[in-house]
Amino acid sequence: MMSLDTMKSYKIRTFLTLIGIIIGVASVIMVTTAGNSVSSFIAEQWNLFNPTGMVVGIGTSGTVPQLSIRSVVFTANDVENIQHLPSVKTVAPVGVVPLIKILKRDGFLKWESRSGETMYASTASLLEILNMELEEGTIFEEGKNEVVISKNVAEVFGKDKPLHVGDTIYLRRVDGKTLEAKVVGILKESSSFSMFNTLSTPGIICPAKPYYSSYFGSNAGTILKRVVAYTILLAEATDTKHVEDAQNQILNYLDGTRSDANQYKDQNSDFVVITQQYILDRVDKIMSVIRTYITAIALISLLIGGVGIANIMFATVTERTREIGTMMAIGAKRRDILQLFLYQSMIIGILGGLAGCILGVGGSWFVVDLLNKSIQNLGGAFSTGSMQLTYAPEWFIIASIVGILIGIAAGVLPARKAAKMDPVVALRYE
Amino acid sequence: MSEYVIDINSLTKIYQTGKTDFKALNTVTLKIRKGDFVAIMGPSGSGKSTLMNIIGCLDRPTSGTVIIDGENISIVSDNELAEIRGRKIGFIFQKFNLIPTMTALKNIELPMVFLGGTKADRDQRAAELLGKVGLTNWATHRPSELSGGQQQRIAIARALSNNPSIILADEPTGNLDTKTGEQIMELLVALNNEGKTILLVTHAIALKRFANRVVNMLDGEVSEDI
Repeated sequence: MMSLDTMKSYKIRTFLTLIGIIIGVASVIMVTTAGNSVSSFIAEQWNLFNPTGMVVGIGTSGTVPQLSIRSVVFTANDVENIQHLPSVKTVAPVGVVPLIKILKRDGFLKWESRSGETMYASTASLLEILNMELEEGTIFEEGKNEVVISKNVAEVFGKDKPLHVGDTIYLRRVDGKTLEAKVVGILKESSSFSMFNTLSTPGIICPAKPYYSSYFGSNAGTILKRVVAYTILLAEATDTKHVEDAQNQILNYLDGTRSDANQYKDQNSDFVVITQQYILDRVDKIMSVIRTYITAIALISLLIGGVGIANIMFATVTERTREIGTMMAIGAKRRDILQLFLYQSMIIGILGGLAGCILGVGGSWFVVDLLNKSIQNLGGAFSTGSMQLTYAPEWFIIASIVGILIGIAAGVLPARKAAKMDPVVALRYE
Repeated sequence: MSEYVIDINSLTKIYQTGKTDFKALNTVTLKIRKGDFVAIMGPSGSGKSTLMNIIGCLDRPTSGTVIIDGENISIVSDNELAEIRGRKIGFIFQKFNLIPTMTALKNIELPMVFLGGTKADRDQRAAELLGKVGLTNWATHRPSELSGGQQQRIAIARALSNNPSIILADEPTGNLDTKTGEQIMELLVALNNEGKTILLVTHAIALKRFANRVVNMLDGEVSEDI
């Protein structure tokens, strides 16, 4: 009762003291909410893509595996064998076919040409693994001059004259050879992003035969044996629970004697299987480090708020020395005086904590909105998603409790100073 | 129970100021009967304030015994001393010493708050006392909105709230004009007539006439007791 009386009379002072705690609590909430929102945004984006997906390649294994996309090692035989592993749902080879030009016949003896696109030689499974769907047409048939193209490639000769299913284009490879290709399917625009996007989404997908021509020439006696081989494989586990099993089975197979890849890879590199889950975990780990760091800063600002309370409480105690003396003269025990000031700092802590929560709710909204805007500016695959405000309720409680505790702690020393006063001296204080 | 409400025997109070000791009171013996109106007079440094602080249970004697309304204050704890102070002593100060952030009514209630009891009882008692000092209409005013005389009346009401046996008034008219001072003194006389023991500490010789006993202090000793 008395504490409230004094706080009402020193409105501005109380308000200024509150601000320290309010900002501290609010920033803890804002930081943790922003962190939570980003985390769930990433997780959500990830779920648009198969969380069961993985890349198989060669590179260096270890705690932080590295892929190097330099040599071709995986054969059709390997693809076939991996496909039959119990925890593997599908596997698709990826062979990069570098193109210089895409050409189109435009009337008699007239050609229109555009610069090259990314072309992957693969199988129908690739579409499944990359979560891509055909908007029209069908998938190509192995051995035929057929391709599936993306929406972007369909519009490569102009938005007004897009390519349609059934059109014929000509693809000029880096080796100078030009191959005819019939467009049999056009892909839907994908809204997801995944680690495969970072390998750049394919513009054209084609069958290995007749477009892909990376092979080893291995001398078996005097006969040159040609084997088609790929740089990487994309695979998918049967379900999210079997991602690790699939990973292990693939690695076991590749390291075994049945695998062609084991025979073709150079001795210094290892087989590497990087799962989407692994990347998600890495991102999560980095996020949590950043979050911990910023939360620590926010907590420090809360601490500074506490120092502010202590400071003002000391000033108040000194200023009210004669009042303290008077209260002692009319029967206040030391405990009463101690309580009076402790209640005051506790009330400041509680009010600051509550107001901080309210400000934190509003501020979080603002921060997430800001993050959303910058995501839109990033463009690319990110631009299709928007971040949802995801509060971290436990941090509301932690921040408020820390705020209140700091309020009380900050009041302890000033309150003790007040309670220890000699009434005779205090009464004489001017 | 002794016939004296204040029974002081060879009270000595020594203050340690740095390396030198200062003897503020030197073997003072003073006995005051219940219902007395005693003026304690003397120049600055005579020890009258120290005596007042000890009788008011704000300070303890260095040696000698001080018995206030049957309680030997030399042997009680800090908490008990605060309790005795709240229950048996009513303070009236020169500068009124009201709590500026509280209304008149809450100021009067404050000593009762420290002793406990129900809010309803406190409110009733405070309202009664407000009437007794003639300020019923000023209950919700803060000290800054009251005149000096009114503030001192509130202070007197506050001093009475726990129905103490002794009223200690330290220069109660010091900050008031003569006329208002007279009124305050008359109020004290009225309280004395109701049976309260009143100790008045003052420089003002003019106030002597309200007392039925005058104790003169000089250099830490009682120089004259009329």
